Formats: sequence, C-alpha cells, structure tokens
Amino acid sequence: MTLHRKPEYGRVNRGKPINFSFDGKIYSAFDGDSLASALLAHGVHLVGRSFKYHRPRGFVAAGPEEPNALVTFDRGPGRVTPNVRATTLEVFDGLVAHSQNNWPSLTFDMGAVNDLFYMLFPAGFYNKTFMWPKSFWDRVYEPAIRKMAGLGPAPIDEDADIYASQYMHCETLIVGAGPAGIAAALAASEKPGRVILVDEQYEFGGSLLSTPNMVINDIPAWQWLEDSLAILKARENVTLLTRTTVIGYYHENFLGAVERITDHEKDLSSHKPRERLYKIRAGEVVLATGAIERPLVFQSNDRPGVMLASAAHTYLNRYGVVVGEKIALFTCHDSAYEVIFDLADAGISIAGVIDVRDQVSETIIAAAKARNIEILTGTIVSGTSGKFRVSSLRASKIEDGKITSTWEIACDCLLMCGGWTPSIHLFSHSKGSLKWREDLGAYIPDNPNENVISVGACNGTFGLRKIMTEGAGGSTEYQVNAGAFGSGIIPATFPTEGDPAKVKAFVDFQNDVTEKDINLAVREGLKSIEHVKRYTTTGMATDQGKTSNLNALQIAAKAVYKPVQQVGLTTFRPPYTPTTFGALVGGKDGHSFHVIRKTPMDGWAEDHGAVFEPVALWRRARYFPRDGEDMLAAVNRECLTTRCSLGIFDASTLGKVEVIGPDAAEFMNRMYTNPWLKLKPGSCRYGLMLGEDGYIMDDGVIGRLAENHFHVTTTTGGAPRVFRMMEDYRQTEWPELDVWLTSTTEQWAVIALNGPNARKLIEPFVEGIDLSEEKFPHMAVREGRICGVETRLFRVSFSGELGFEINVPAHYGRALWETLFIAGQKYDITPYGTETMHVLRAEKGFIIVGQDTDGTVTPMDVGMSWAIGKKKKDFVGKRSLSRPDIMAEGRKQLVGLLTDDPNIVLEEGAQLIANPEQSIPMDMIGHVTSSYWSATLNRSIALAMVKNGHALTESNVYIPMPGKIYKAQVSKCVFYDPNGERLNVI
Amino acid sequence: MLSELKIDQAVELAPILTGEVDLLPVQTRYSLRVKPKERCAFIEASNIDLPAQIGKMSVQYDRVVLCIGPDEYILICSLAEREPLARKFEELMGKYIFSATDISHRNVSFILSGEQTTNMINVGCPLDLSLENFPVGKCTRTIFESAEIILFRMGKTKFQLETWRSFAPFIVGYFEKYCLQNRGK
Amino acid sequence: MLLIKCPYCQEDRPEIEFSYSGEAHIARPLNPDDLSDEEWAEYLFIRSNRRGLHHERWLHAHGCARFFNALRDTVSDKFELTYKMGEPKAQVKK
Ligand SMILES: [Zn+2]
Repeated sequence: MTLHRKPEYGRVNRGKPINFSFDGKIYSAFDGDSLASALLAHGVHLVGRSFKYHRPRGFVAAGPEEPNALVTFDRGPGRVTPNVRATTLEVFDGLVAHSQNNWPSLTFDMGAVNDLFYMLFPAGFYNKTFMWPKSFWDRVYEPAIRKMAGLGPAPIDEDADIYASQYMHCETLIVGAGPAGIAAALAASEKPGRVILVDEQYEFGGSLLSTPNMVINDIPAWQWLEDSLAILKARENVTLLTRTTVIGYYHENFLGAVERITDHEKDLSSHKPRERLYKIRAGEVVLATGAIERPLVFQSNDRPGVMLASAAHTYLNRYGVVVGEKIALFTCHDSAYEVIFDLADAGISIAGVIDVRDQVSETIIAAAKARNIEILTGTIVSGTSGKFRVSSLRASKIEDGKITSTWEIACDCLLMCGGWTPSIHLFSHSKGSLKWREDLGAYIPDNPNENVISVGACNGTFGLRKIMTEGAGGSTEYQVNAGAFGSGIIPATFPTEGDPAKVKAFVDFQNDVTEKDINLAVREGLKSIEHVKRYTTTGMATDQGKTSNLNALQIAAKAVYKPVQQVGLTTFRPPYTPTTFGALVGGKDGHSFHVIRKTPMDGWAEDHGAVFEPVALWRRARYFPRDGEDMLAAVNRECLTTRCSLGIFDASTLGKVEVIGPDAAEFMNRMYTNPWLKLKPGSCRYGLMLGEDGYIMDDGVIGRLAENHFHVTTTTGGAPRVFRMMEDYRQTEWPELDVWLTSTTEQWAVIALNGPNARKLIEPFVEGIDLSEEKFPHMAVREGRICGVETRLFRVSFSGELGFEINVPAHYGRALWETLFIAGQKYDITPYGTETMHVLRAEKGFIIVGQDTDGTVTPMDVGMSWAIGKKKKDFVGKRSLSRPDIMAEGRKQLVGLLTDDPNIVLEEGAQLIANPEQSIPMDMIGHVTSSYWSATLNRSIALAMVKNGHALTESNVYIPMPGKIYKAQVSKCVFYDPNGERLNVI
Repeated sequence: MLSELKIDQAVELAPILTGEVDLLPVQTRYSLRVKPKERCAFIEASNIDLPAQIGKMSVQYDRVVLCIGPDEYILICSLAEREPLARKFEELMGKYIFSATDISHRNVSFILSGEQTTNMINVGCPLDLSLENFPVGKCTRTIFESAEIILFRMGKTKFQLETWRSFAPFIVGYFEKYCLQNRGK
Repeated sequence: MLLIKCPYCQEDRPEIEFSYSGEAHIARPLNPDDLSDEEWAEYLFIRSNRRGLHHERWLHAHGCARFFNALRDTVSDKFELTYKMGEPKAQVKK
C-alpha cells in the first residue's frame, strides 16, 4: 500500500518497521511514530466523535494540545487507559488502541443524531434542562448523558501496573527542551550546581524537530541538537528527563513531574514502574514551554482534515508524513507561510492560501510566486464540505466586514493558523501575574511570584535567534539562518453567510463549544470569562482549553465591547495535561498506603487466629475465636475465663511518656487534674487530663518511679495528641520548669494479666519484687526482673479483677508472652482482645475516652469529680470548669442503662427519649455510648449520656431502635462488684 | 534465675535488599536532655561528647551522639555499654539537670548503603541529600512518608536510619519496592 | 509544599515536617481564677483570623521538635519571618 510518507523526510526509524492495531485493524508504522503520525501515514484522518454532537473528528495538532484525537490505549486487563491523545502516544510493535465516544462504530454513530438536533444543545443546556424534577436526574438524565456524551469508559479492573515517586533537588530546573530550553541548559550547566532538563516528548528538541532547515551557528539544526545533547549528557551536573511532563508548579519552586517509563515499551515483564512522579525542589526555574498555535473559528472548522499549520509541519518534517495531497491554508499570521512553502517544496500540491489580511509582505508574495502558490488576501474560509474528511472549502471575499462573493476550492486538507498562544500554564500555577500583549493577542508572564524566568515563545519571544539568545540568558549570541518570525492579526470572529444561528464554528473542539454558544452566554448576562467558561464549558475539557481559551476570550470580549484585559482570563490549574491516578498515588498503595503499626505480640496473635481491628494507626487483636466461635461466643468465653481464672491481654499500644526532671511533679500537677506532689514513689494514680476548655482530653494510669521520674500512660489513640499538648505547655507556657518528656510507647511491650490467678502465674518468674498484697498493693508500681529481663510491674486493673501490667523492653515482648501463655495453661489462661477488654471495663463502669466522652464532656458529667485536686490552685482546664455553661443544669451525664428485656443489647449511638408517646420529631435526651452483652451478669448492660442523668437513677427511659422502642432503667455505672472486692484476691 | 528471653525486632528484610539495607542488631539507645547551660559540665562529668549544634553528631569509640534538638541528644552504642551508662546516669542524677531515658527497644536501625542510597531515601524523605547539603556527619530527625525517622550520614553512600519499631516494616516496604523497580540499575 | 525556616535548626525545611499550632502571642493567663468569665472566654476562643500578615505558632514536629513563632501572609501563604519562642513579637511593617 502506498503510504502518505516522504522517504527523505522525518526522523522515524525506517529500519525498524512495526505493526499496531487501531479499532481492530492492523497498520504498519515505524519506530519513532506517534499513533497520530502512523494513522495519518495511512490516510486515516477520522479518529473520534465529538463530545456533544458526535461529529466526526480528526487530528488538529501534533502535540499534547490535541483536543480531538482521544483514544483508549489498551494493554489488556488492568492496563486500559482512556482519553489518551493519539498525538503523544508512541507507537510500539503490538500497540492496541481504540477510538472512543462512538456507537456502534466510528463511521456510523447513533449519537450523531444530536448533530441534527443541535438546536437542543445550546450553551447552558445541561444547566437549564436537567434541573427539574430532581428525581429525574439520577434515573433519567444522568445515565442518558453518560451513555451519549461520555469520553472513553473508565477502566473497571484493578490497575495492573506499579508506580513510583521520588523527591529531587536541583539548583536549576528547565522545563521544555526546545531551542530555548536547550540553550538555557547549556548556559546553566557551565556553572556548578545541579541542572535538570525535562521535556514531555520522548525526544528533546521541541520545535527544532519540525524545522530541520534551520541552521544554528552555521550548523544544521538537527546536527546542532545532537551536538548540544551530547555536551549536556557529558556534564555530571546535568540530569536529562525525557517523556517527563511537569504537571504542576507549587510554592517555593516545588514542581511535580510525571515520567512515563513503560507506556512505549512492548515488553511489560520488567519490574519497572509504569510512571514515576518526581517532586522537584529547584533553586531556580526556567520555563521554556513554548507556544501553541491557535485555530481559527469558522463554520465547520472541525471537519477531519482541518488542522493547525504547525501540525502539518511536524508531521512532514518529524515523521515524514504528508497530511494531504492538495493542501490549503487559512491564516492571519505570517508564520504559517513557512509551513506551506515547506510542503510545496516537498512536492505537495497547494490548493491556495486564504489570508484574512488585506496585505502580506513582499517577501512572502515573492516566495509564494516562486512556488506558484496563489495567495487570496482579504478572504476567509466560510465553510467546509466533505463527509469524513474535508473535500473542499468555501472561500469568501470580505469587503467592509461583509461577504461579497463565495466560491469553492477543492482540497483534502485545510491548514489553519490563528497566531500563537504562549504556554503560560506553569507560570500561572506559580501565581505569577500576567500582562496582555496586544500584538500577540495573548497573555505573557509579567511579575513572577517565585524564582522563575520564562524564556522563548512562552515569554512572547518569537523567532529562533531571539528565542535562543533569551534562553542562554544573554551569555551566548546565537546566529541562525531563519528570517523574522513575522506577524499577524487576531480576527477572533468572521462574518458568516446566511443565518448566523445555524453556523457551527467551533471554539473548544473537545467540549463542542461554538462561537454561537459564547455569544449566547454573553447575551444571557454572563459577563465574566469565569462565568462564560462554566456556562458554556469552554476550556473545561481535559485539555483545559489549550487551543481554545484565547479564542473564547476574544469572542466574549468582542461580544461585550470591552478590551480583552477587562474580561480577564480563566485560571490555569494543575495538572498541565491529564495525569493518571497511578502517577499521583506514586506507589503509595497496598502496604505503603498507610502505616499499620503492630505490637511486638502481633505475630503471636496472628498465629493464634486473632481477629484484628484498627485502633488509631495500630491494628489490635479484637478477639481470639476458637473453632467455630463467632465474636459473641468468643467474647463471652474470654470474659468468663478472665473473671474466673486468668486472661492475658496485649496493652502495648497504650501511649507512654517518661517525665523526668527536678520539676516533674510540678509539671504533672499542672497538666493533670489530680494532685501529684505528694504521690509516693512506687505508687500509681489514675490521671485525668482536660483541655483548657475543661473537657476531658485523655486519661491513664501514671506511676511515680522516683521523686523526679513519672511513667505516664495515655490512651492508645490519644498518645500523639497528649504528648504534643504536654510539650506545648512545657515549651511555651512554662519554660521555667526543668522537666523533659520522652515518648516510650514503643520502648515497652505491655502484657496485662487479669483474673484471680494473675499473681500465681507470675510469681515464679519475677525477681526482686515482693508480690504480696501488703508489699505490693493495688495501684503500686515496682521495678525488678521477669524471666531475667528488667520490668516495670504495675499492679492495676481495668477489669476489676486482680491485675498486673508487665512492661518489658519491647523486643522481649513476644517471648515473655509465649512463656506466660504456656505457664498459664494450668489456669486455663485465655488471650483476649479489645472487645473483651471493653466489656470487662464497662461492667465496672470505667469510661473509655473518645467512646463514652466526645470532647464536650467534663469530669463532673461522667461522675469523676473525685479525680480533681480540690485544693489545687490551677491546672489545665480548671478555670473552664467554673464557666456558666459547664456549671449549668441540664448537661448530659453518664449513667448506666439496664434494659427491661435483659436479652436486648442496645445499639451504640441509639438516641434516648423520656416519653415514647410524644409526637415525631421526638425530644432526644441522650444517647447510648457503650453497650454489650455481659456474660458475667448474664444480661445486657449499657452506658449512656443523658440530660440530668445523675438525678434519673431508677427512672425509665426509652430507646427507639429499628422496628421497636425499648424500655430501660437508669442505673449506676458500676454493674459488677461495686465495692471492688475482687481486686484484692490473695 | 530463669533463662533469658529471646530478642525479636520483628523486622524481615527481603533478599532483594541485600547490600542495600541492613538491620542493625539491638543497640543501646538513650534519649538525653541536658539543660543547655550545664552542657559543658555534663560533658566533663559524663565523658559523653554532646555536639554543640543541632544536626551535628559526635563519634567516640563505637558510640554516636546525635544532637537533634536544642537540648536533645540521641546516644547510640553497643549493648555492652548499657549497664555502665545506666549506672553513670544514676550517679549524675541530682547533680546535674538532665534526663536520660532508655529507648533501646523503641527504635530499630538500618544501615543503607550503595550508589542508589540517596535516591532510595528520597522515595519518601523530602530532604536534599546532596553531599553539599547533607554532608557526612550530619544528622536530623525528619520524615519518610508518614513515618518519623532519624537520619545520619556515615559516608558518601552510607546512612543510618532510625525509626520507631512499629514504623519499620512500612519503611522497609518502600525500600523493597524501590530495589525491585530498580533491579539491575 | 512550602519551605519553612526553623529558627532552632537554622535551615529551610519542607513543610511536611511542620505542623501549625494556632495564633501566636496568646499567653495563658498566670492566674486564670482572677479572670472574669468573659475574659477567660476571650482567651479560650477569640482569635484574630487575619487576612494578610498573621502571627502564628508552628511546631517543627518531625525535626527539632520545637515550637516557634512565625509571621506569615495568609493570602500568599508565604512565611515572612520565623523566630524563637520567647523572642519579642515581630512587628508588622506597614
Ligand atoms: Zn527545627
């Protein structure tokens, strides 16, 4: 088959032919082709259907600004990427891609009826039409819109690829490796300091890749490029990153860049990540991001075969592909003539040049004449024809702003050039201010907000010599053969033939927004470009209006009779181009998603079938089911065994803080509500901590090991918060105190033993501590050894049974646990988890901060006035306890609840009401905070916060639950062993 | 007296990490705080060299002292030194205003080495680890993804990384991914 | 991600090492009991919530673990100045 290739043109590797598939058909290509160039080489211009009207669409561009040619890149299950621009997708042998947004096929699309009923789809159509009734949205509109107007389908399989991320640092980051960027890199890397040069394409060179006829310092452009890259590669301080797109520019020169690593590789068997996210911190940033050619807005400018002039240039010179056999040009700018002359020189027939301007320069006229190219000045293209590809254009002569005559010109490709738009996206991300350049009809960078400079076309500088000299920062003067870049005008809109309401001149190809839509939005009162954008959706597609924003802006400005600067510019936001979620996650998935902290005994629990639950960052054993047990059965057994004999529990997650210093006791006295100055070394006390607002913040048992030394424990979840708050007061409020805090949460493994046989179990293993009731009473702490290892042994109980908490250095935790578990067999020892721990403590009425309290609960509310040192002058939160609202009647207070039906376990969080007969909405007087089945008591128990609860003892409350309202009696919080006799088993 | 219990740091290193990441055996570690105006006297009395500046470390015999806060030091040494150190601190307690807390089992340490080390650390740690900005002998507390670490440089391509016990597997997971992805690099 | 100069470390360090700790220069009253309910409520709850330069407390949490004060622009997010606890309140230049 004859390909549309020019043998002597392009950089593709003709020695490496490959095959790929598009919509199920196999095509040939060369290594170095993009999917777009490869398809164009086969004359394939129709590659998609438009978003709203399902109009046939072809390639508009050759780079990342492409609005139309979005395809689905299919590498098999878990590797399907929709909405990939065919112009940036590198072809490799075996590549599979599909067109999108068409059903049943690209050439016969049911949705194309939208095009015939286009009157139904004006600007704001979605806003206006789908508003009422609300229920229709979910059931009717949304699914229909999705089916008809979607982009590519979202992948459904789990992503089969891996991703990575990496911080990087450099003194100079250069974004864009076109002539300006390379000149900048050459200059920057002569000095010491790390230089990173990134470019989104797989090959450095930017516009030079499309302009081989240029001569730089007497060297042909491509040779110059090769030489320069060799110099850069040889410099140790230079890092070159191709296929790397800078997607966002953030504070203090922090930029995100995504490198595509395997998307172009045939073989996926390596362990390489698909993409890597670089998080780059740069001393200085040089933006050399170039400019994007602007389309012209005229009737049927979206027909396949209508494309940017620069794109045809790239397809010819970089890929050796000719985009048509009879090519016409519609322009308002000199720069496109270089393209049409190159095409003519390549032997392609030129159908004519239609130039909006009344005059063009003598040089251009002479050059055109030499090539026998006809230039029609003062003329526009007022329409195109052709089914799936342009076959002719209508040229119209303009006089005094009106069409005076129209005729047809046959062509199979129409190039357009509406001037150039500097790529200021990244500069804009960095919050630099912009200024309007009337001659360019575009915004360019003004005052930077970071240490950044823009060079070359992105700075509004055009012409190769100027671009390169600016890139080099003036350090090198470049000589090039090219003439001036030329100039143009910015027409924005053109006169039309016939009824303007029937004209479809596209501004935003990707979102199917026409000139008429923008005018309508303005007529309907939307004067700000931000509003026009949202109403019409112009610039809101995945390309963020790279080709359309300036046209939309100028059409809107014209419609409101204001200068463009007064209409504004929509804000560019990261990412610069669409980015995969995988790249953003950057490998932080699976086990890397977040920290799962495990205690030293976690492995044992796992080996013994524990069911785990997350508690803060920790995973904790919740219960230890034996054969066939469900949670309730396991917890019942664990509770009864512990109360009758012995249970072993992993309490290692409790926060622990070592408080040491001459002022340790004074510090504790200020932080906690309880008095600490007179606590004897060797004793423990339950400590209650408030926020300065008087609400309970944390609690825990605190042991005094020496005059100047406390071992503080906190709740599991509260540990970091409590430590930070203590440090805050220590450093900022009381710097005069000589005291230090050290987190020892992970220094100690903590094994809690509870049950009447607890002492008997440990006795044989303990050295240096007299365990007798007299010498080691409840709420005492001793230091000694257990199994030959140092221990801090606490005699405390969170179950109401005789209890010990054995602290040993963490790496010994598992071995000690195993030793005790084996020795405990003779007491029928049971391991238990957090669920049994919760039941045992609830039976005793002990609160759990964060479950029974919620950050608005005072010590008085939970009946813990006893924990407040009455004689203390001050402690954190004290003053708040006498605030009027905290002393007021009617606060919720903690009570016990006993359901009338002992078998009913209330739902935690269920609301309480005083009278079930009242009308809805009922007056809620409280809620259940904890609720369990108590095997020990053979009935359900619950704790609840109830308005004035302390005065309601023995009265009835009601708890509506799904299906029924239950009755319960308010009780004291302590359900079991109210006198605490079980603590003192001898 | 009963037999000693087995020590278990609960860290497993995949074979791919060989040569890049090594787990140190249990070390003696103290978190030391000294009232700044007593620093010199404390050094004299304890013979522990406390660096004068945040980010600096001292090396005495096999003992490393890191200064990671204005009055905060981490002392790392062999297990054998623990008893004598504990006795020394007990002696000095009351004479000087300081705090010494045993954190030997709180942390685990990794030695990271090889040409790719800084890149591997930069997978999760945002600091600039160039030799100019993080020279040999520099130490700091910082962050690796959501895990706090202490990092110090022992050579051009050799670092020690300390982290709390339960955060170690999370960090090692990143190292494994890195080594797997860069196999043969 | 911002860079923040820690006045203790004397280094520019990445923002994720730090954590914000509320408005600065609001000292806890020495004798809370002497304050009226209104005065105490003012201390507890009332903050300036300034647009522009704002005195803030930051904690170099994953660094030297010190709290320090800063003057930061809440519009641009940028830090103007950081200084140690106990140093006089930074003046806002007009
Ligand atoms: Zn610091």
